[in-house]
Amino acid sequence: MSPLEALALLALLFTGVLVVTLKNAIHAALALIGNFLILAGIYVALEARFLGFIQIIAYAGAIVVLFLFVIMLLYAAQGEVGFDPLARSRPLALLLSLGVALVLLSGLWGLNLAFTQDLKGGLPQALGPLLYGDWLGVLLAVGFLLMVATVVAVALVQPTRPLDALSPEERKEEKEVVR
Amino acid sequence: MNPYPVDPYWMVALKALLVVVGLLIAFAFMTLIERRLLARFQVRMGPNRVGPSGLLQPVADAIKSIFKEDLVVERADKVLFVLAPLIGVVFALLAFGVIPFGPPGSFFGYQPWVLNLDLGLLYLFAVSEMAIYGIFLAGWASGSKYSLLGSLRSSASLISYELGLGIALLSPVLLVGSLNLNDIVNWQKENGWLVLYAFPAFLLYAIAALAEAARTPFDLPEAEQELVGGYHTEYSSIKWALFQMTEYIHFITASALIPTLFLGGWTMPFLEVPYLWMFLKIAFFLFLFIWIRATWFRLRYDQLLRLGWGFLFPVALVWFLVTALVVALDLPRSYLLYLSLAAFLVLLGAILYSPKSARKAPKGLSKGGGA
Repeated sequence: MSPLEALALLALLFTGVLVVTLKNAIHAALALIGNFLILAGIYVALEARFLGFIQIIAYAGAIVVLFLFVIMLLYAAQGEVGFDPLARSRPLALLLSLGVALVLLSGLWGLNLAFTQDLKGGLPQALGPLLYGDWLGVLLAVGFLLMVATVVAVALVQPTRPLDALSPEERKEEKEVVR
Repeated sequence: MNPYPVDPYWMVALKALLVVVGLLIAFAFMTLIERRLLARFQVRMGPNRVGPSGLLQPVADAIKSIFKEDLVVERADKVLFVLAPLIGVVFALLAFGVIPFGPPGSFFGYQPWVLNLDLGLLYLFAVSEMAIYGIFLAGWASGSKYSLLGSLRSSASLISYELGLGIALLSPVLLVGSLNLNDIVNWQKENGWLVLYAFPAFLLYAIAALAEAARTPFDLPEAEQELVGGYHTEYSSIKWALFQMTEYIHFITASALIPTLFLGGWTMPFLEVPYLWMFLKIAFFLFLFIWIRATWFRLRYDQLLRLGWGFLFPVALVWFLVTALVVALDLPRSYLLYLSLAAFLVLLGAILYSPKSARKAPKGLSKGGGA
């Protein structure tokens, strides 16, 4: 492991710990951005350039903007998330995270990391045929899952009756609830 | 993979410095040019006292903003309050380096761009998305309601236009088959400008670029009639100037990107001079955007959201599918020329038709104004 790799690993771990431990939700989200940016840098260094940029655009950009939007709407005035609902459960959390780490590591065990295809620096011209050729079924399955999740989320926030079916007073109340 | 010549590192650093200095000078004089032009649109004089016909006004402004008292508000988040304008400026400056200004070797024997990335377009996206955090954090860190409203607006508008912007750019990328800005310009040199092949995409990108630079029809984050100063309400002196700088650099970058992607970049069918046409095209779009600011009204918040999701996104998607169909079935690309022309005629029709329908039903205004 070269010194730069070690540095990247330490920075990843440090920002990851910050995300969990910082009391202020906005600061935690910023640490998350830092984490994603470092991860993107690692992807680019590993010649997965397309993945690196997508990591920045989709995760560090769009998704964290959504996070921050929600945090600012909910805790606009103070930003402190406040009480810790699981104060006594730190040992349990430690145990669980160690278990997850073990499961992930055991997945790596015996994995044959020999590249059979030349990905040409991870450019989309080389990734595209692979993603939409060999792995098309998996891609469609994942896309379908995401779509189902979106539809469910939209269905959950729908008002019980359509707005134009309500009487004027009810509509007023419903609008306030929606807002 | 990357056939373009590469410069030594010292030259890249020098060019990066040149871009930064150039953008800062351009920013200073754009403030003057914009104020003089707006004054002309509004039949008044504008700043004309400092130096010959007001030419030294930017210098006076710079001195004033540096030496004013630098306030940090009591309820501000101190670290983020200082960090936010810096994030904004840094990510705004980063974007300009990938834009080519001429053929290889035309910068005193070196290359007329700072970076030549295979994924240039994705890089631009990544950088411009990160730049939003400057505005976003500034609004929150100020600890003031007006600022927070400004930053909430900026994030909501980002989510609404970014998708349309991204998908609008996919159709030229499909035609060219590369994300490299040099490849895109060279393709246009051989096959004709992309605006002819993808007129709807050009239109959508121009609209979304206005939103991205937070220029007038979409300058909701700092709507001064509603939000005092928006996200920079609590900022003063040099930090406020940094926000102005960010905004103008976005503005200049947007006006450089539109010609690069759709209008042939530095190329021209006749009289090919490397830098001249690029600068002329940038100047044209800068003027156009100032003109829009002087003439157009600001959209309401919900109108921007409806425009983003209801107009930009579906039209971009339909045009992307049409382009994908032509590319996938390997049809002659000239089909796209006719379809673009048809789209242009539809736009003309919509512009000529909408004033009458808008008077009868004022609610339809947002759609008519968008088209």
